Amino acid sequence: MEPSELERFEAVVLPHLDAAYSLARYLTRNDDDAQDVVQDAYLRALKYFGGFRGGASERGDGRAWLLAIVRNTAYTWQRRHRGDALATEFDEELHSDAVAEQHPASALERDAARQALHRALDRLPRELREVIVLRELEGLSYKEIGDVTGVPIGTVMSRLSRARRRLHEALGAEPEGG
Amino acid sequence: MTHREIELQLDAYVDGELASEDARELETHLKECRECARRHEARVALSAAIRQHVPAFRAPDALRRRVRTAVRDAAGAPPSRRVLPPVAARWLALAASLALVAVGSWRLGTSRAGEDALAGQVLASHVRSLMPGHLTDVISSDQHTVKPWFNGKLDFSPQVYDFAGRGFPLIGGRLDYVGGRAVAALVYGRRQHLINVLLWPATRGSVSGPGVATRQGYHLLHWTTPDYVYWVVSDLGLAELHDFAQLLQQADAAASGPGTARPPP
Repeated sequence: MEPSELERFEAVVLPHLDAAYSLARYLTRNDDDAQDVVQDAYLRALKYFGGFRGGASERGDGRAWLLAIVRNTAYTWQRRHRGDALATEFDEELHSDAVAEQHPASALERDAARQALHRALDRLPRELREVIVLRELEGLSYKEIGDVTGVPIGTVMSRLSRARRRLHEALGAEPEGG
Repeated sequence: MTHREIELQLDAYVDGELASEDARELETHLKECRECARRHEARVALSAAIRQHVPAFRAPDALRRRVRTAVRDAAGAPPSRRVLPPVAARWLALAASLALVAVGSWRLGTSRAGEDALAGQVLASHVRSLMPGHLTDVISSDQHTVKPWFNGKLDFSPQVYDFAGRGFPLIGGRLDYVGGRAVAALVYGRRQHLINVLLWPATRGSVSGPGVATRQGYHLLHWTTPDYVYWVVSDLGLAELHDFAQLLQQADAAASGPGTARPPP
């Protein structure tokens, strides 16, 4: 690869490492797997970088492009290492009684809300989990989410709606009609 | 329209993805239908809860190094130690400052590198807020609507002022995540410009500022009162931004009452 091309790659794609890791982490639900997925995804991204037309000025494009690769890599990874990938990580610190005792009531409530949300998110099917992560955490537009997940905008819309309805219900709110 | 269709539209509306004509129609419906209005509120609250409680993970430093090395190896580039290209140098500086943030947000107020990292995050928050549908979680020019909106969403209750009379109308507020914690973001307007004010409780009452930074054409002002850390960011001219900051500081000093706070220098 030309040095200038490598430089462009480093400018356009490397800055999205946090977003890449975050998505991989939520898809694999495991730190080790997420790290491996991200490294794999970056090597794939490097390979296909020639076909990527977004310039350095279009950071958003670079991010959506990279996240699409991360997503595909994560799914391939899970097919290959099925058993491990399905194990749900449990946050020991958050769930420990000893820690809970040291917290004032309001912090406890916050922890409870956080735990409930994490559990609910973990239990979503991955197609619904990924739209929540891409929308709420990464702030992608419907169009970008469609590009990353390879589905039409209408599907993005209905998946987001379904995902939120499930989270809402899982958080103990009354089930919504409709 | 069926309830299911309305629900679909509601999500797109909350995300700022509904065409303006449909959005107006939906707004009319929300005024008439209490059930849908309740559902709308629940959706906004859910989004806020997700943003507050579900963190975006930060890549571990080891992974950063690993990816960089793997990419350089695969690209057949020499592992340049002596002369870093400017882009790589900037990337390393960024990685280093992010690592500092990871060490602990309590150090941010005191360390220069921490301040740089915070400025980066504040700027990112501002730029993100300018993308469609990201500016506000609560839209109101009424400070008495915006202030209570934050209740229960943050572990503090931010002061909210409206400076419409001085040419800086309040536009709304939202939750954001900066420096490793949930913060209040208040949005003000000035002609066609937008100003983001980010604030969170100060630690150990260390007063400082105001500091000024300019990045990518945006100006950032920040200061710390005994109660709060403030960051103000906008593409507005620096002089006008200083005027705005002064209004904010005066209002804040007046609101804090005697004995609890001094106006910052």
